[in-house]
Amino acid sequence: MSQRMTKIHLFGLVGLLLLLVGSYLGLFVAPPDRYMGDVQRIMYVHLPSAWNGMLCYLFAFGFAIASIWQHKPKWDALTVGAIEVGAVLNALLLIQGSIWARPTWGVWWDWDVRLTTSLIMFLLFAGVLALRSFVEDPNQRATWTAIATIVAFIDVPLVYFCVRWWRSLHQVQSTPDTVSSAMVMPLRLNSIAIFLLVIWMVAQRARLEMIRHQKEQVDEPARMATVGGLENV
Amino acid sequence: MTSAEQTTIAVRSVGLGKRFGRQWALAHCDLQVDAGQAVLLAGANGSGKTTLLRLIAGLYKPTQGQLTIFGNDPNRERMTCRQTLTLVGHDHYLYSQLTALETVQVWARLSGCEHSDDQLLDLLEEVDLRHWRNKRVGGFSAGMKKRLTLLRTRLEEPRLILLDEPFSALDTDGQKLIEDWVQRFKSAGKTLVVASHNLPRAARLCERAVFLKEGQIIWQGKATDMIQQLRLTS
Amino acid sequence: MKILRQTWAVVRKDLLLEWRGRSRILSVLLFGVVTLLLFSFAVGPDSVMLRTAAGGFLVLALLLSSTLSLSESFRVEQELRAIEGLLLLPVDPVALYYGKCLSNTFFLMLLAPVLTPVTLILYSVELDFAGFLTLFGLWTLAAAGLSAPGTLYAAMTSRLQSQDVLLPLLLFPLVIPVLMGSVKSVTLLLTGDPMSQIQSWTLLLASFAIIYWSLCGLLFPHAIEEGS
Repeated sequence: MSQRMTKIHLFGLVGLLLLLVGSYLGLFVAPPDRYMGDVQRIMYVHLPSAWNGMLCYLFAFGFAIASIWQHKPKWDALTVGAIEVGAVLNALLLIQGSIWARPTWGVWWDWDVRLTTSLIMFLLFAGVLALRSFVEDPNQRATWTAIATIVAFIDVPLVYFCVRWWRSLHQVQSTPDTVSSAMVMPLRLNSIAIFLLVIWMVAQRARLEMIRHQKEQVDEPARMATVGGLENV
Repeated sequence: MTSAEQTTIAVRSVGLGKRFGRQWALAHCDLQVDAGQAVLLAGANGSGKTTLLRLIAGLYKPTQGQLTIFGNDPNRERMTCRQTLTLVGHDHYLYSQLTALETVQVWARLSGCEHSDDQLLDLLEEVDLRHWRNKRVGGFSAGMKKRLTLLRTRLEEPRLILLDEPFSALDTDGQKLIEDWVQRFKSAGKTLVVASHNLPRAARLCERAVFLKEGQIIWQGKATDMIQQLRLTS
Repeated sequence: MKILRQTWAVVRKDLLLEWRGRSRILSVLLFGVVTLLLFSFAVGPDSVMLRTAAGGFLVLALLLSSTLSLSESFRVEQELRAIEGLLLLPVDPVALYYGKCLSNTFFLMLLAPVLTPVTLILYSVELDFAGFLTLFGLWTLAAAGLSAPGTLYAAMTSRLQSQDVLLPLLLFPLVIPVLMGSVKSVTLLLTGDPMSQIQSWTLLLASFAIIYWSLCGLLFPHAIEEGS
């Protein structure tokens, strides 16, 4: 295993350890929320998932621009890694949101602004992955993935504002975002933990994609000798 | 490349290669075509002739090697290169719902030609399609479609003309028409690269010939020598 | 300017082609009417509910019809590889994009004058002439917003299998701001706008259109050329 790959595994290891510590603190040490009680503890993974998911998509956007600029396979590999990890975090976010909403409001889904935007984001980037699966030529796949990623990412703020205006006419119920000081430590730990895990997972996924790319490479055939005459061709 | 070379070397490729998936359609292609020359590309189906022509037209990006068209890179300076060349290939680039006249009108408008309708009708006359000017292209035979597509060489006024199987799907009269057109291009000093299976006819038009096998050039020389060595008669 | 001239030439070509294939436009319009009917059956004959939902249903019918129109705009280019011929002329890909965008916007605009009266009749909604003009203006903005990414994605997916699935899958989540903006403004137009909110939604529609006409115009050459 190369030096670089060993260092990457450190990210994963430290991330996992921090996640264990942060989650322990969040579940057993931090005080319960004054109004919501223990249900609120889901915030310790919900908020870090949300922030890091968004960060993944931001990375994907950057990698996509690099992919169009430079046409190198590593940028495409990083783009798809960031999208896939972002989509996983996005999906987890939606599930966590439902788990929180059910005991709090009695419904699995209530069109909260951030959750609704997350659902649309998930569909946007899942669409990019779907497009990718239909393109065989690797160069075209890389370019089109990058284009779809850029287009999807630019849409996110538009979707957010749109949903916010749409919701503002209705009763506002949103996931809590004010955090008391006793809760900051586990939240911070988990955020950093998931960030480190994100780096590890994106690197692993990108590495897989590079291996796939290398498998697709075929060396140029040997140069054929020229012939003196075409009689026997 | 000096500016003098820019005008005297129409096509230059060094180590040019193109891979599709796991298949190398073209490899180790070293070719130089001087301005005003006519070169014949010969070889079996799948030998790389069409790939080479499409690389020259900038429709494909090379996997390997370098390529210049009158000194310009067709992938970096696409518009410049495409203005200097015309490709008449397997695809006819037509809209089946448009008539022949409407088709040349669209092409003329898009390439910035100032041709009047009368001038366009004269062009249709030259390829023996004037009578069909108001008929939809979708109903044309393959030969008629090919003759229509050939008109692009008159609308675009290119310095380099790429012809991919110009004689296929044409009867003897049609083939004679193509030959006459090509002779006129040559007299006008245009550079020609022709890929064809109809070697005797094509060799009459070209000074040089290049033989491809499995995506590589295995022979280059005079077109007449090729005909002799392959023991073909006109 | 050469690009403007080429853009206009592309628009003219598309208008002529669409005129030739006008039976197709009629089919798309009929499709729109059928969807309006289906929506009303989903809700039932409750006239109050239908009136409230009329704006939403109209916009949805337009959106669903739009994918048919957009995918056709590139099917005709792929049939005999005409689009490659255009690029070889050479037509600047940017001119090709904006020409196609303009003609696609126009074709989408054609849907509104037919589907709007059908909606008004089926859902028992009243609208005066000024209101009708406003609605048409809103729909023009929405059509522009749909065409920008729609043209880009139609160009890409027209070269793939499963184009009929991929185009809506990519487009629909993306144009949710257009959908929401149109639904809100049309509904306010049909049911009353006491707080003058139509302006804000119109601003959203316009912003979306401007952003995506710029962005997709930049990206289109990369989508259409190999190794760009």
